[in-house]
Amino acid sequence: MGIHSVGTSDVDVVRRVLGGDTAAYATLVARYRDRLARYAVHMLGNREDAEEALQDAFVRAYRSLERCDDPARFGAWLYGILVNRCRTTGARAARRGRVFVRDEAALNGVAHASVAEQTEGEDVVCWALARLTPEYREAFLLKHVEDLEYEEMARVTGAGVSALKMRVKRAREQLQVILREAERV
Amino acid sequence: MFEPDEELIARVVQQLRRPVTVDSGLDARVMAQVGRFPAHRVGGTARAAWRWLTRPRMVRLSPLGGLAIAAAFAIVALARPDRYSRTAPAGEREFGFVVVAPRAATVSLVGDFNDWDAARTPMQRAGKQASVWTAVLPLTPGRYRYAFLVDGVSWLADPAAPAARDDEFGTPSSVVTVGGS
Repeated sequence: MGIHSVGTSDVDVVRRVLGGDTAAYATLVARYRDRLARYAVHMLGNREDAEEALQDAFVRAYRSLERCDDPARFGAWLYGILVNRCRTTGARAARRGRVFVRDEAALNGVAHASVAEQTEGEDVVCWALARLTPEYREAFLLKHVEDLEYEEMARVTGAGVSALKMRVKRAREQLQVILREAERV
Repeated sequence: MFEPDEELIARVVQQLRRPVTVDSGLDARVMAQVGRFPAHRVGGTARAAWRWLTRPRMVRLSPLGGLAIAAAFAIVALARPDRYSRTAPAGEREFGFVVVAPRAATVSLVGDFNDWDAARTPMQRAGKQASVWTAVLPLTPGRYRYAFLVDGVSWLADPAAPAARDDEFGTPSSVVTVGGS
């Protein structure tokens, strides 16, 4: 799947924005908002911080749109900005001592027998995810949840492919250990 | 009984892939912020040209290459009167002298025009860490021999100018001829 633009229209929209049509930028915001929000919420474990990082990423992307070398890959470029914003916001949140806050609004969509079961299950998953180091959590989310190829992840994160593979592997191992322990309790 | 590891991870991924919705006002907030900045006004071709011009480049320079660049600077300096040779009062013309000396601490321009006095025309670095040294001097029409004095001890002829044949001092020097207006 990766981070692909929808059709070729990202190119057209980016050109329109660069040509002075600022309002056209709303199309890109609407197009990428939900997917980027999912990453930010899971990465930061907090809706308020996630929305702040997301808003900041969109504004920064607009301001530096001229530096987007390949408008056809606007989505990947935007992802890179968000990943950096999440790192900054996450570090700030950690300094504040807020590690993980249960996110009620993220618990929508019932696929289990009951809301209670699903809420509990997702809470456990989010709790386990929050216990990973930011580097492992970032790599796991980008690979398994956002479905990026390793080469794409390397461009987005600035880390090498080997390092990313190692982080994903460790993240999977640690998640298994954490969740098995949780099941035993 | 525990589920297999792969199934456990698949379940985690399935849960994390569920859509997450954010505050519906986020789009409006982003656009309000974006609206405070000036609109972009960059065309495609102009943008590409600007990126090409401003793209950082790494240049490796051999000593020979450095001399070639010095020669190019000097040629430009001596050949372009609009930039390096300007008409000055009383029939004088300003001439620019350029030399590349990466390791030099000081460089002086010495010649017939300043009685070969190293203290009278110290050259300036083109930038804080630059290898290029420059000096601009008003000269009246005539033929002048000159050289660069590096760190007060090394004489260097201008690689971009004709060598002086009548060098009675036994050190390398060059010649510049300033024409009348």
